[in-house]
Amino acid sequence: MSSLLSRRLLREVKQVGQVQIMAARNGSGGPPMPEQKLMIGKREIVGYGINGEANYMDNVMAPFPAIRFKEDVGEIATLREKEKGDWKKMTKEEKKVLYRASFCQTLTEVEAPTGEWKSVVGIALMGVALGMLGYLWLKAVVYEELPHTITDEEYQKAQLKRMIDLRVNPIEGLTSKYDYEKGRWKD
Amino acid sequence: MLRFALRTVPRLSAIRTATRAQQTVMSVGSLRMQQQVRLMSSENLADAEFDARYEAFFNRPDIDGWEIRKGMSDLVQMDLVPDPIIVAAALRACRRVNDYALTTRILEIVKIKCADQVNEIWPYMIQELKPTLDELGILLPEEMGYDQPELALPNPYDIH
Repeated sequence: MSSLLSRRLLREVKQVGQVQIMAARNGSGGPPMPEQKLMIGKREIVGYGINGEANYMDNVMAPFPAIRFKEDVGEIATLREKEKGDWKKMTKEEKKVLYRASFCQTLTEVEAPTGEWKSVVGIALMGVALGMLGYLWLKAVVYEELPHTITDEEYQKAQLKRMIDLRVNPIEGLTSKYDYEKGRWKD
Repeated sequence: MLRFALRTVPRLSAIRTATRAQQTVMSVGSLRMQQQVRLMSSENLADAEFDARYEAFFNRPDIDGWEIRKGMSDLVQMDLVPDPIIVAAALRACRRVNDYALTTRILEIVKIKCADQVNEIWPYMIQELKPTLDELGILLPEEMGYDQPELALPNPYDIH
């Protein structure tokens, strides 16, 4: 679809041969320039931009976009005439209008904190809470009762006596706290 | 006549010790006499050549907006703070192409390039650029109110 559009525009372009050669040399560089010019409207192309395409992007790493932000119409057009004269004669407000005509955000606004971290932390903690609720539901609905071989007190006592007889963890663990000479737990 | 290739404004690292040791702001004229010997070291020779090359690029009388932006983009992509001489040449180039917004953008990005040493480098940069700024009528971003965010615009990637 886009190639049809560019082919139709190329018919009107006088230096068709050069455009085709440029396109062949540059490889896949996004939409062809005529289509890019359609997409940006009447905005003036002023530079190379970040990759040679005619689009606008506020980026500290590429601070000079390829096109102006606004079209040169109305108030901006009259200020462009004034811009050709002495800049000392322009007021601060006019200079600000000219800046906003060329750029969407100042670099300070680009770098300003957005507070996005609060929503990131909040949503992550909500996910954790959901996980915990999921476990509680599993315990309530899905899992069976623990077997009597674990819960019954007589069984637990017998298992503990077996662990003492086996000398389980005798250095720093369970039976290190059992006094074998006296046959009872250490104080 | 002193050849212009012999630039006499000291390196930024040199000026940091200079401003700490001395309270007076030295004029370029007195610096010229004192810094002659220091400039002959090899590291400063490469710096001076780099600065001279970029200043000559921006000083071309037939430069256009496209080339100013490309030159400045390449300059800020490098790991250095541009010398005030180069920034002044870029500002004068903006004057020749009648583009005021570009001057403010250049000053903003140079300040950002100072990174965490902005409190040492930026006052020096303003001091060196003051004559050019006053001559051309360029306001600093601080004077325009652009050192703080003015508009709060939504991130285009967050608009659904």
